[in-house]
Amino acid sequence: MEFTDRELWTVLHGLGLGTLFLLAFGGGLAGLYSLSSRLVTPEGVAERTPRLLIGSWAMAIVAWLTVISGTFIAYPWYRATPPEGIDRTVQSPELLDYPRYWLLASDRTAEWHRLGMEWKEHVAWIAPFLATAVAFAVLYYGAQLVRRGEIRRAAIIFFTLAFVAAGVAGLFGAFITKAAPVA
Amino acid sequence: MQDLQTKPNGPVAAAFVAAGVGALVLGIFVVLNEVSTDISNFLKFDANYGLGSGVGPLSGKAILATIAFFGSWLGLGLWVRAKEVNFGRWFAVSLVLVLAGFALTFPPIFEFIVELFPAAE
Repeated sequence: MEFTDRELWTVLHGLGLGTLFLLAFGGGLAGLYSLSSRLVTPEGVAERTPRLLIGSWAMAIVAWLTVISGTFIAYPWYRATPPEGIDRTVQSPELLDYPRYWLLASDRTAEWHRLGMEWKEHVAWIAPFLATAVAFAVLYYGAQLVRRGEIRRAAIIFFTLAFVAAGVAGLFGAFITKAAPVA
Repeated sequence: MQDLQTKPNGPVAAAFVAAGVGALVLGIFVVLNEVSTDISNFLKFDANYGLGSGVGPLSGKAILATIAFFGSWLGLGLWVRAKEVNFGRWFAVSLVLVLAGFALTFPPIFEFIVELFPAAE
């Protein structure tokens, strides 16, 4: 049993950071939702705020690490161009080392690139923008967020949209890796 | 209405709108990359400026969107740093920008837009 460097990086990018993102999203969303004067006492707000701050910043930092590692480390392996002499129209074992071209070589798999990868590689970058804006709002207001219902609700919407963006990218990433692994 | 018990909301409104600006700029460059070969070549920041290797135009799209996010955050933040703004209106703008960014990164939509340009490849 062994992993190649590429497999380790893709596992770190997708599974490692993806799991942390999911955990941070769950904690952050629950924290934002419950940070209401109707739901918690002043002591409860003081107790929850540091946890919310950690959760929201963890989500933002993980989102940045995920898109940077995905774009600048894993993505070049995916889009690498096969050398002359390898037929790009047949899904041969030689072409399997070049996932983008392997997927495009068959009508059965081409949409994984044309729709899946084309959307994934771009939409993922929206997640860190949204998560960072939310983390800043939590940092800026801290416990005062309990008196800023409109900002708390906006933060919940942005947090959820960040999760949707990352979710689309993660889901297509898993399917594409299954169809044509970077190895 | 200003909540006198808390800090002014301007800096947070600026951060939210800046996220929308980053998303929209990303979407615009996704479309422009498909419309023009010159722009596509310009967006290859890995080859042009050594930022990454083998990333292609995605390097430029991602870096320019990130610069737009932080740059607009800084600009808007300085403008409204001590102000109480109409947060509902600012958030509505940010939401429109974010959703436009989402839409422009969706292949069926950006491919449809590209087809509207006769010179597009």
